[in-house]
Amino acid sequence: MVRAALQSRGRLNRGPRPGVTIIPAASVVAMSALAILPVIADRGAWPDFGLLMLLAWRLLRADAWPAWWAAPLGFVNDLLTGAPLGLSVTMWTAVMLAMDLVDRRTQWRDYWIEWALAAVLIIAAEMAEWKVAAWSGAPVPFALMLPAIVISILAFPLFAFIASRLDRWRLGQ
Amino acid sequence: MAAPVVGPRPGWSRRAQYSLFFGFLAAVAGLVVGLIMLVLSLVAPSSYSAVRGVALDATAPITGVLSQVGATVSGLASGAGNYWDAANQNAKLKRERVALRRQAIRAAAIFQENRQLKAALALREHSREAVASGRIVGSSFESPRRFAVLSVGRSDGVAPGMPVRTADGLVGRVIEAGRIASRVLLVSDRANIVPARILRGGTPVISTGRGDGTVDIRPLEVGRNPFKRGDIIVTSGTGGLYPPLIPIARVVRLDDDGAIGLPIADPSQASFAIVEQPFEPEALAVASGGEVQR
Repeated sequence: MVRAALQSRGRLNRGPRPGVTIIPAASVVAMSALAILPVIADRGAWPDFGLLMLLAWRLLRADAWPAWWAAPLGFVNDLLTGAPLGLSVTMWTAVMLAMDLVDRRTQWRDYWIEWALAAVLIIAAEMAEWKVAAWSGAPVPFALMLPAIVISILAFPLFAFIASRLDRWRLGQ
Repeated sequence: MAAPVVGPRPGWSRRAQYSLFFGFLAAVAGLVVGLIMLVLSLVAPSSYSAVRGVALDATAPITGVLSQVGATVSGLASGAGNYWDAANQNAKLKRERVALRRQAIRAAAIFQENRQLKAALALREHSREAVASGRIVGSSFESPRRFAVLSVGRSDGVAPGMPVRTADGLVGRVIEAGRIASRVLLVSDRANIVPARILRGGTPVISTGRGDGTVDIRPLEVGRNPFKRGDIIVTSGTGGLYPPLIPIARVVRLDDDGAIGLPIADPSQASFAIVEQPFEPEALAVASGGEVQR
């Protein structure tokens, strides 16, 4: 009995998981890969899963990956979603740099501020996507983007939850 | 709850400061490279066709398998629902009944598939030249553009610019072709402009996608609104890309000088899509060389 109480119950030897440094990036790629699901939709109102995961990680920690990893991650996202090559490369790297600025300027953050930040970045990203679509010959009215924006913003807490859970798991806490 | 900012605070370590700074430089470089790539893919969309084709080939089979799994699972679920009714019957009858019903379901599925294949074949017989027929397995559900992924590619003879249709009507045209899969610009995409006419009377019109699964139809001649609800819009063959007389849309709503139509060929319902030769082969050269809009 006493001996059993003294046993570790798995609380000792719990270091970081193997591959701890690539788990965040791998989760972003996995979320980007959701774009190959066999969904045939009338309109593109689904959130941009890869971007949401990237935002969730970046808002959770600044050192999830070096900032420049956003470029190759965006490249993979472009290839998987069929977006014009370079769109996510640019947008995601810009998000990382913008967040570096925000980190310098803010003294403290709580959950609501993170959500608001994510909302601003999501809107910026969707506007960039809208502009690029217009330049490539499909000038859709902006109202068409609103459902996607609202759904993405509402879906963000879910991705923040996934990121925080994954973070605890990968660090073995 | 003030979250501790786990930020880039390298402290006094010179090495950490350098690595942070070079990381920043690398990110800026990534931004510049991304911008260059984006401009290139806007100005010359065909410049990345090789790498995009490879990505399409790598992902489309997975999408295809998943869509088969999805169809099977939903089939199993709806099939299992049917079996619950037999629960209070005796074991033998139940077994017989289950077996019979399984057979019936299988037979019905084969029958339906047969009918669709036959429809596709019959269509192939009196249309000019079918290049290939495949399944629509995926779509761009995260983007304002309307693309679909088709399970046939260059190895089946598919090339960018070829029109795609189902037995019901026009789906769109191929804009990218990998070896075993291709990407289709749907008629509901804003960049897809189809010369058309009203089946009743033959008034020439233009159909443009609206990006939300419907198409915008405008008459070529300004004046009285020629549309009626329920009108069928068919391709006119003008421009040489789309063969004439393929149904595009049905008019569902009128506005001041045009109408809004619902595409007749629903990509999510169609089992088979047929890739055809362009109506006039010269149109393919134009469509595949730089004119392809993405």
